[in-house]
Amino acid sequence: MTLKAQHINKYFYDPIKFQVLNDVSFEINQGEFVSVMGKSGCGKSTLLYVLSTMDTDYEGHVELNGMGVTGKNQNELAMFRNKYLGFVFQFHYLLPDFTCLKNVMIPALRLKQYSYKEVEQRAYEKLRILDVGDQALKIAAKISGGQQQRVAIARALINDPAIIMGDEPTGNLDSKNTANVFDIFMRLTKEFKQTIITVTHDYDFAKRSDRIIEMVDGKIITNN
Amino acid sequence: MKIGINAEIAFTYLISRKRQTMVAALGVTFGISMFIFMNSIITGTNEYFEKATLSTIPHIRLYRDNETCNTDMLNRYTGKKTINLIGNPQLVPNDNRFYNPQAVINQLLLTKEVTEISMQVTANVIYSFGTVQQNGTVYGVNILEQDKMFDIASTMISGKVKDLDKSVDGIMIGAGLAKKLGVKAGDRIRLAGFNGISKMLRVVGIYQTTIKSIDDTKTYVNIPVVQQLLLRDRNYITDIYVNIHDNSKSPAVAAKFAKITGYTAEAWQIANQQSLAARKIRDIIANAMIMAILVVAGFGIYNILNMVIYEKIKEIAILKATGFAGKQIVSVFIYQALLIGIFGSLLGLALGWGISLAVSKIYIGLGNVNYLPMSFYIKHYIQGLLFGIVTAFFAGYVPSVKASKVDPVKIIRG
Repeated sequence: MTLKAQHINKYFYDPIKFQVLNDVSFEINQGEFVSVMGKSGCGKSTLLYVLSTMDTDYEGHVELNGMGVTGKNQNELAMFRNKYLGFVFQFHYLLPDFTCLKNVMIPALRLKQYSYKEVEQRAYEKLRILDVGDQALKIAAKISGGQQQRVAIARALINDPAIIMGDEPTGNLDSKNTANVFDIFMRLTKEFKQTIITVTHDYDFAKRSDRIIEMVDGKIITNN
Repeated sequence: MKIGINAEIAFTYLISRKRQTMVAALGVTFGISMFIFMNSIITGTNEYFEKATLSTIPHIRLYRDNETCNTDMLNRYTGKKTINLIGNPQLVPNDNRFYNPQAVINQLLLTKEVTEISMQVTANVIYSFGTVQQNGTVYGVNILEQDKMFDIASTMISGKVKDLDKSVDGIMIGAGLAKKLGVKAGDRIRLAGFNGISKMLRVVGIYQTTIKSIDDTKTYVNIPVVQQLLLRDRNYITDIYVNIHDNSKSPAVAAKFAKITGYTAEAWQIANQQSLAARKIRDIIANAMIMAILVVAGFGIYNILNMVIYEKIKEIAILKATGFAGKQIVSVFIYQALLIGIFGSLLGLALGWGISLAVSKIYIGLGNVNYLPMSFYIKHYIQGLLFGIVTAFFAGYVPSVKASKVDPVKIIRG
């Protein structure tokens, strides 16, 4: 079991108390590619950020990669995210002043598992897998949107995370690039046994994944 | 891995926004250059005036003061049969001389603080040459001892210090007095004491200290000349001048000497409190200015870092998402502040040095001040660097903590 969520409840207090997640429980196995769908405001993104460990204000229990993360302090969670989680967002969030290579390297330099030379080597490799190896030494702000998103995925992969989380990872991409990203995700789950959970509006994208979790009003209504 | 990733990110941020970095650094540069300049001029001025003061007065002056009468004599006279009280004690005038001055000097020479000693006796006299008369004070001294203490030789514009030591009836006069009397070396002038005694003396040397009050009134003769003018014996000495190794310790050493010898010992700081007060006021003004400038420089750094954080808030959020903990975000921004601080301070040290050097060439030419007195001490430059870095650190700390508190969820979800 790579991801286990038990009885997650979450409330928003502003402007009035409002329950966004209502007793959400589900599990994801290693190597699974899961899409979370639902209308705007159904709580799917909120759920993702709870699972991402960045949002700690919830009730219930979350277990990631066999470790309970609920109740850990911010520093432990930052280290956990660094080592075990990779994120791909709708926007690439690359650091625009750095080269693509450096952008990919930063989380690995923070982890300090490999030497600088090895990190550089690995970053090149990830960029090559994502077919942007030739952009490595360009400044991140100066490549195309599709390339930026692929560099962002390379960054998510640099520490070989157990779980990759996506928040509309293809939301800004055209159909060609979307297909491209989907293929990459598929390969990651099948070849490298990494687990992927991604929130998406794109039904075509979702229906090709292993499983769709559909949410309505903070509850899971279908899970298959 | 040569430098940490936090420092590398900080460095890249600074490099990619050169203009803002320069503006922030220039704030520090001006602050630190002012710090160097103010310290140089204040220390230089203080030292100059201290040196000027100590070129005419000794570190410690020993003399005999009038004492308030006490019951000692009465007790000796009437014995201890009665308790003696003095209803209205008065100052008892005495002739203010040392008893056996050589013994006092020998006592002082036993202490390890003393560097130079010179005894002297002074008298107020009227100098006359032809029909011209001038008031003044004649100092009976061993001129060689005084020369060691005050470096009189360097002020001589005519004759030599040695000439006075060799001649029994010689006198060394100030340039101002020489001009007023219209005398030159070799002329003979008359000194009249207030008890009717007068002596003819030959001018053997003329000195010029550029301190008008001294050049116009003070003359040096050998000790016996003054003793004769005052109709006193060869042991009549009224002052003993002492220089010590560390003049800043004068008050404490003076107290010690007073205890050893039983005479009044006055440190130069006590005799020149107005100049110490002036020095203190200069220090306060300088420090207030430096503080104000550093605070302004600090706000400059604070401002720019705040702007950087505002612009980079998404990047901070993604750094946190990918595993940077709060303290690492703090260190990214503290590094930026420190780099700005170090860079700005080093520029400031160079600029401060340049300004100080340029200003030290400004001609003043008033009294005995020719050029603006500036000091160049490595100590000030080290302090300047430290101040710059400390200011940058504190200015950077608040925005850094703010950056570390960024909630990635809020920023990324928009």
